[in-house]
Amino acid sequence: MSNRPFAITLKPGTSLSNLTGTWRNERPVYVDRLPPCNNACPAGENIQGWLFHAESGDYQQAWRVLVENNPLPAVMGRVCYHPCETACNRGLLDESVGINSVERFLGDEAIKRGWKFDRPALVSGKRVLVVGAGPSGLSAAYHLARMGHQVEIQEAGPFAGGMMRFGIPKYRLPREVLDAEVQRILDMGVVLKLNTKVENIEQSMQGFDAAFLAVGAHIAKRAYIPAGDAAHIVDAVSVLRSMEGEDKPMLGRRVVVYGGGNTAIDVARTAKRLGAQEAIIVYRRSREKMPAHDFEVEEALQEGVLIKWLSTIKHADEGSLTVEKMLLDEKGVPQATGEFETMEADSLVLALGQDVDLSLLNGVSGLEIKDGTVQVAVNMMTGHAGIFAGGDMVPSERTVTVAVGHGKKAARHIDAWLKGTAHQPEAKHEIASFDKLNPWYYSDADKTVRPMLDTIRRQTTFDEVQGGLDENTALFEARRCLSCGNCFECDNCYGVCPDNAVIKLGPGKGFEFNYDYCKGCGICMTECPCGAIKMVPEET
Amino acid sequence: MLKQIEGSKAVAEAIGLCRPEVICAYPISPQTHIVEALGEMVKSGELTPCEFINVESEFAAMSVAIGASAAGARAYTATASQGLLFMAEAVYNASGLGLPIVMTVANRAIGAPINIWNDHSDSLSQRDSGWMQLFAETNQEAVDLHIQAFRLAEELSMPIMVCMDGFILTHAFERVDIPSQQQVDAYLPPFEPRQVLDPAEPVSIGAMVGPEAFMEVRYLAHAKQMQALELIPQLAAEFKERFNRDSGGLVRTYCIEDAETVIIAMGSVLGTIKDTVDEMRAEGHKIGVLGIISYRPFPLEQVRRALLSCRRFLVLEKSLAVGMGGIVATDVRMAVTGAGLKGYTAIAGLGGRPILKSSLHALFRRAQAEALPPVTFLDLDWDVVNKQLARERTTRRSGPVAENILYDKGIVSAKFG
Repeated sequence: MSNRPFAITLKPGTSLSNLTGTWRNERPVYVDRLPPCNNACPAGENIQGWLFHAESGDYQQAWRVLVENNPLPAVMGRVCYHPCETACNRGLLDESVGINSVERFLGDEAIKRGWKFDRPALVSGKRVLVVGAGPSGLSAAYHLARMGHQVEIQEAGPFAGGMMRFGIPKYRLPREVLDAEVQRILDMGVVLKLNTKVENIEQSMQGFDAAFLAVGAHIAKRAYIPAGDAAHIVDAVSVLRSMEGEDKPMLGRRVVVYGGGNTAIDVARTAKRLGAQEAIIVYRRSREKMPAHDFEVEEALQEGVLIKWLSTIKHADEGSLTVEKMLLDEKGVPQATGEFETMEADSLVLALGQDVDLSLLNGVSGLEIKDGTVQVAVNMMTGHAGIFAGGDMVPSERTVTVAVGHGKKAARHIDAWLKGTAHQPEAKHEIASFDKLNPWYYSDADKTVRPMLDTIRRQTTFDEVQGGLDENTALFEARRCLSCGNCFECDNCYGVCPDNAVIKLGPGKGFEFNYDYCKGCGICMTECPCGAIKMVPEET
Repeated sequence: MLKQIEGSKAVAEAIGLCRPEVICAYPISPQTHIVEALGEMVKSGELTPCEFINVESEFAAMSVAIGASAAGARAYTATASQGLLFMAEAVYNASGLGLPIVMTVANRAIGAPINIWNDHSDSLSQRDSGWMQLFAETNQEAVDLHIQAFRLAEELSMPIMVCMDGFILTHAFERVDIPSQQQVDAYLPPFEPRQVLDPAEPVSIGAMVGPEAFMEVRYLAHAKQMQALELIPQLAAEFKERFNRDSGGLVRTYCIEDAETVIIAMGSVLGTIKDTVDEMRAEGHKIGVLGIISYRPFPLEQVRRALLSCRRFLVLEKSLAVGMGGIVATDVRMAVTGAGLKGYTAIAGLGGRPILKSSLHALFRRAQAEALPPVTFLDLDWDVVNKQLARERTTRRSGPVAENILYDKGIVSAKFG
């Protein structure tokens, strides 16, 4: 060094002798936060996890990560009300990621390519009885089979699917899609016995080590409506159920549906497709108060379904109904006005909700029944040891997705119970809320709109209303994911660190901080687009 | 070759003759004509090989010059006023790193209020930056000083500002003798950097140095400027030999041998002062002139020797240390410490205020009579100042000073109605 300017020209790396990390009073740490989509999914899907693989076009791997939690992606990609998209942080930026449409694409791709579930690696020797082949029962059967248990499903009806078949119309869920996904579960070795109604669970359980009950809620609720002898009154559940049989229901040219839930919408749209000139929903409150999902209401209106708001049916006669106008009071409760009118109607369909057929539980000790549903503990077990329950027959929001989630959750607890242990779910990470992100770094990308069938075809056929994405649009949509809360190796921290204190560990391995030189300035945290860095105080 | 030429153009030609390899510049009056002319020379191929880099600011200009110089290129830039202030951090870095960059400062006042005309407050604000500062009296000297500056900078490996009065010199057309390329090549050898960057042997330049070595680095910069005190007269002497002209050096005296009163100044105002002194000499006054060419390093010894035989001196400077008085005067007083001389300071020509011979006559006579206060503000409009002071005493919201003064002088109404 003697021939160089004193203290001006130094050996390379001499500044490394200054351990500037000692100046720090806060340190950045890489964290994994829970993406809002994952947090919102009733089926507990690792949405961000499977989107990650879809983003690189590895659809099979994406599908495999998806089905770790949910064996019915093609169904789910059609019928789920996707609370994930409601929670999606991208919704605060432009529009939420079309998670549901990518899920459907993966599900359809799996059917098209014939992807199969892996056979279980081990065999436990335990036998589990699943009662009901609806979404909850199928989900439980799938997960239990994956864990190596021998599963038999006993289903009262002639087909598997439960409400997915007997409640959701074909134009929302084509039956070949449902059949394909059910068959894939059965291919794992799950035994399905159709037309096998369990009358007494304790008897049927003999020879099984545990049982999971998921019989659904198939009994239509009745409201007392004074009616003339010739009035044609049916319930929505039987109308939708009979759509699956040989004899289609005869509803006439003017069909009135009574109720405001999704089932009321489904049955009105079905009536329209069956040839009704008018399908009118009568609902006692306003559109804002309607429990049906708004997009379904919108689709029904597009198809020509009429809705009579703020009305109750007082009397039914042959060919006509008497309707009373209602007025919402300050609390939003409909109050009678005493104003009546008459509507022409060939038939009245009641869509007022469903009850559970609990007869199979008669005489079972330890059970608690409340408000027509079976009470279960946090581990999904009823008051009777070894009998677990889920889906519509336990207190919950009655959707396919919730049912699938119940099936998975119950399977995990059943597995633990069979081993004589208890399943402890991992503690949830902190949620990657929008304020944790720095969205400036994401490029603009509008949501991909799924194709919709022409209205005229929707009014006359049961063809599927909503189309799917193709490979290009699915890839684009997957890449809209912000990766909230989890590092996707964008290199921002690596680039912005003024102290070169971010060490790159290589593709797929992320980064670590060099705390010898990190001054704790927090620029990495501020500039991390996805909120995967957190500042924590140094201990003093 | 004798030319009737604009000062800026003459300097540009001189820089061209010095064969710079990197010129980086950002325009600011009154320096712009110099780099514009150089840009044309590079573009036309007249000056080659040379990289002319348009930068986005003065900070970038100096930063690019630092990089170029560190890489072993002869680097040049030019600036003035706010531009010099904006590059200040890099100015200090250039000297701290010992990089022999030559920069023309076309001296201009510093705002606010914004003012594009000449005084010396810009380069004097960088007095302690570690750069050498040479002040040109004429455009001929500006040309000659630039040629000497590259030689001086590169021998010491320290940067130099060549200061020339904005507009008064830069925009004045006058007779300048532009030397030939052969003459300049013979005087100024190719740049031999003190260190060469070599990718095979990497180094860090300008990394952090702690208390254990920082002071030594600073002392070494000081030691180099002390060496420059010896080198500058040698280079001027050699220059005279080759070019047959007196240019540069540390100081220049005029009619000083029997002078009882000596006027001290820097830059182009020396011309006006000499004319005034000629007239006073004709009337029998024993008055002389000491021009300071090298402001940094400051030639304490030469100044002291030049003044020891006089009785009193007056430093006339185009700069003001607000709250103190003269800037150059302070250094001069330091030089004659203990000599028992009467010393006066006159602040003159700030923001381009003309320095008139008539005013100088009156000022010098009062100096001779020892009737001056320690600090005089030449041709200050006391009416205007007193009005504003009165306004501020009586009214809290007295309004903007510059506007008030323009109004008092009747300029605002004339200009803006």
